[in-house]
This record gives sequence, C-alpha cells and structure tokens, in this order.
Amino acid sequence: MNPSAGNSATGIRFRKARVVYPNGTVGMKDLDLEIKPGEFVVIVGSSGAGKSTLLRAINGLNPISDGTIEVGGRSVPQKESAELRRLRARIGMIFQDFRLVKRLTVMSNVLVGRLAHVPGWRAMLNLWPAHDKEIAFRALERVGIADKAWIKAGQLSGGQQQRVGIARALAQEPSIILADEPVASLDPVTSRQVMDDLVRINRELGITTLVNLHFLDLAQEYGQRIVGLRNGELVYDGTPDTVTEADFQRIYGRAVTEDDLKLSGESHG
Amino acid sequence: MAEAAVSVRPEKPPRNWWLWGTALAFLVLMTWWSARGIGFSINELVCNIGGGRRLLQESWPPDFSFLPRLFAPFLETVQIAIIGTVVGAILAIPISVLAARNLTLGMFVWFVDRNFMNILRTLPDLFWAMLFATAVGFGPIAGALALTVFTIAVVSKLYSESLEAIDMGLTEAIRAAGGSWWQMVQYGALPQSLSQYVSYVLYGFELNIRASMILGLVGAGGIGMILETQRSNFEYERVTMIILVVLVAVLVIEQVSAVIRRRLT
Ligand SMILES: Nc1ncnc2c1ncn2[C@@H]1O[C@H](COP(=O)(O)OP(=O)(O)OP(=O)(O)O)[C@@H](O)[C@H]1O
Ligand SMILES: [Mg+2]
Repeated sequence: MNPSAGNSATGIRFRKARVVYPNGTVGMKDLDLEIKPGEFVVIVGSSGAGKSTLLRAINGLNPISDGTIEVGGRSVPQKESAELRRLRARIGMIFQDFRLVKRLTVMSNVLVGRLAHVPGWRAMLNLWPAHDKEIAFRALERVGIADKAWIKAGQLSGGQQQRVGIARALAQEPSIILADEPVASLDPVTSRQVMDDLVRINRELGITTLVNLHFLDLAQEYGQRIVGLRNGELVYDGTPDTVTEADFQRIYGRAVTEDDLKLSGESHG
Repeated sequence: MAEAAVSVRPEKPPRNWWLWGTALAFLVLMTWWSARGIGFSINELVCNIGGGRRLLQESWPPDFSFLPRLFAPFLETVQIAIIGTVVGAILAIPISVLAARNLTLGMFVWFVDRNFMNILRTLPDLFWAMLFATAVGFGPIAGALALTVFTIAVVSKLYSESLEAIDMGLTEAIRAAGGSWWQMVQYGALPQSLSQYVSYVLYGFELNIRASMILGLVGAGGIGMILETQRSNFEYERVTMIILVVLVAVLVIEQVSAVIRRRLT
C-alpha cells in the first residue's frame, strides 16, 4: 500500500543548456538551474518566455543544442532511444489541454501511464496485469475520481479531465512531475483545486514537481520556489515572498497592474 | 469614442472575373474536345435509341423464377467481399500509418509506402483478379485476393489522410510517458481516428459487393460469374434479376453502414 515505493525523488540540473528550434528561434539561452529532489518549483513568465521549452527539455521532447541537462545525475539522451523512453517512463507530464482520448474510458486513459512499465506484447494486446490496474485505480483515488473510472473521458468536466491527466502521470509512479500550465483552461475555483492536488501529491509522495504558470499571483500562493523566465533566460529565482515590483518588471517587462492582483484578491475574499 | 467613429471599413475586393471566365472557357473546351475525340454525337444517340429500347424490353420483367438459383452464388459473393474487406482493412492500417507524414518512420519509408499505395490504386481491380486467377486458379479465392488488394488501395488512401489530420498533442503525451512508436500509434493515433476508419471500411465493403459483379467476368467466382453466363446466353430477364439482387444488397449495406457510422460519431 505504498504507491511511492521504488521511486526516490530526483533532482534536475541544467548546465548552460540551450534550445534552438529548427526555424532558428532560441527557446532557451544557456540556462543554469538546479532543482533539488522533492522540490515544488513554479516557473513563471509571459507568453513565449520559454516555460514550455524548459519543461520539454527535461524529458527530451525538445532536444538541446548545447550544454547539458541531468536528471538524477544522468544526462538526458538527445535521441529517441530505449534509454530515453526509460527516463520518460519515470517523468509524468500534465498538459494545459489535458490530452486525453475523449472517447475512451478514464481507466484506459490512466493506463497509458503504465505503457512503458508492462511488457510490450501485453500493451499491444491490451492485456493489463492486475498489478498495473491496481496502480491506475490508486492513482484515481489519489485525485478523488475513482468513481469515474468507467466513464468516457470526454464526458467529464474540465477540472475532472485534468485530474485524469494527473492520475495518468501518477500511474507512471514518477519521480518527477512536469505540469505545463495545468490550470490555464480552468476557472479560478477549479484551478485552485487542481493546484492543491499537485501540492498535496508533492508533499505526500515527495515527487519533484515543476509547474508552469502564466500568472505570478497563483505562483506566489503555491510555489516553494519561483523561477522567472523572460526570452529564454532566467530572470528570477527565489522564494515567493521576496518577489519585488522590480522583479515583476523584469519577468513580465511591464509594471504590476490591478488585473494582476485580481486572482489573489478573490482567494482572500 | 471619437477614434471608433472614424474606423474605415475595407471595401470588398473585386471578384477576379478573368480567372473565372478563363476557367469556364477551359472546361467547355475540354468537354467539347473530349466529346469529339470519342465520337459522341447527339444525332447518333437519338437514332440508336431504338436498339436500346429493344434491349430494355427484352430485359423486362425480371425473371423471378431464377431467384432461388442465385442464392448460392450470391452467398459466395458476400463471402468473397467479407474476406477481402476484413483482410484488406487490417493490412491497410500499417500501410496508412506509414503513409501519414506525421506518423511515418522517416522520409524513406514514407516515400516507398506512398508509392506502393499509389501503384495499388492505379491498377484496376480487374487486373488484380486476372493476376490472382492466373496465380491460384479461377474461382472465389482469386476474387477474395483481388478484393483484398482493392480494399487496401481504397482504405489506405482515405485513412492515411485522416491520420494526417489527427491531434498530435495526444500522441506526444504518450511519447512523454515513455511509450514506443507503435504505442503512440495504437494508443494515441488510432483511437482518435477510429470512426473514420470504420466508415472507410464499410465504404470499402460496399464497393467490394459491387466489384464482385465485375470480377465474375474473369472467372473470379460469385454472382458475377452467373451474370456473365446469362449475358452471353442472351437471357436478359435473368440478367435483370441478378442486377436487381445486387442493387438491393448494395442499398441494404449502405443503410446499415449509415446507421453504424451515425452511432460511432
Ligand atoms: N516548435 C517550435 N518551433 C519554433 N519556435 C518555437 C517552437 N516552440 C516554441 N517556439 C518559440 O520558442 C519561444 C519559447 O516558447 P515557449 O513555448 O517555450 O514559451 P512559453 O513560455 O511556454 O509560452 P506560452 O505561455 O505561450 O506557452 C517562443 O519564442 C516560441 O515562439
Ligand atoms: Mg507554453
């Protein structure tokens, strides 16, 4: 009954890591960053700052053209390979648009998280071992939607769909979770519930968690540590309560406005 | 407020009459040229209409007493079509996947597979029937093999295009979870496009029932073979009966597949 058995939280280290897209756009500029095992880090920045690029470099979805990225002390393979797949198997990813197969059941979607953990022929024939189904069920229980296991994913609300996304990541028994703007398509109340889930999972299971957020207020509320990006460069790295107006200016390239404080205002009301 | 008032509405750009005119003229010319080429003339058509009428009169009414003797060959036709559709539809999956630019395994594989697909499609079903009839002998096996190839050609062309239009976010989510190439296809790409696939396969089945009439011409079994014998014996009332049976079968299949398709979406 210990879902975290077998995974020890893993650290991540960027050394002068650089991402250049095929069209020449530099998505990440010589980034130096170290994330300790079990940390909950929120990455903020305006659109195009390079938040997604950073996350996707960790699981090799975006190859780096210079520097290194190490996960758990081993550098991330830069070519599609069995080694890269083994690394990805232990890194759960959560997306803004959920990325579920809508016409399949919640259970089928969560079992995708087990794909890399079962023998190939079993996955091919859709014959899931009882052990893996159990893991999937526990993942659903952890986000409180086990009762929806046999419902089609497309019939759930946005917040529920994102929980399925989280459960899919948890089913991987990951040592790292990467969440790319997980609440950007949700309303403020649901956003908080999903953020609460992520924080709770981080505390309970000690999974190193990186969350991209567009807005600073939510980041300040949830992050133990905030990393600010702008144009692919690190412009802030510190605790949530030490962000000054000057830091805000550096991250977003403009001054703080009333709008930026709206979300946090609601939460206190 | 004042700023909004002076907003300039862009004028609708003029239609390109030249382009439309040229295209229309080109179409008319092409049609005229083609009609000339095949010797089509309204005069002849009217003069020969008598011959056509005689044929129609001889073909009516359909010979219903012939119906019981159609049962076995019709069943064979359906069986040929089922085998051709099922085997062809399964083989069409990997061929479609490798022909879809977003899923294929490298440009070389894509190029080879695309061309293979094009060759299958270019050669007519009659050619395949004759080829297999020479290879495995005249009869239903040759027909089933020909329809297998025919189904691959039809389904893979349509399906590879549907696959190119899928949402790649989902397939990326599977890669991000450590899934292999085939898992990405099986769990990400295929479920998204299942309803299109099923409707193409049903369409292939319809075409196969129709094609089996023609395949009989080269002795590839089924109802087409009876059609050919009766036609060469000038038994036109029986020919009508056969055509009627196939017509009803095609209409029924069309209705059934429409229902299935509607339930899928
Ligand atoms: N596939 C790609 N090809 C070319 N350029 C890209 C690609 N993906 C991202 N970029 C560019 O890299 C930069 C960083 O993009 P990234 O998606 O990481 O930003 P982001 O902070 O996640 O933004 P958003 O908040 O809009 O998601 C941007 O300038 C973007 O245009
Ligand atoms: Mg992004």
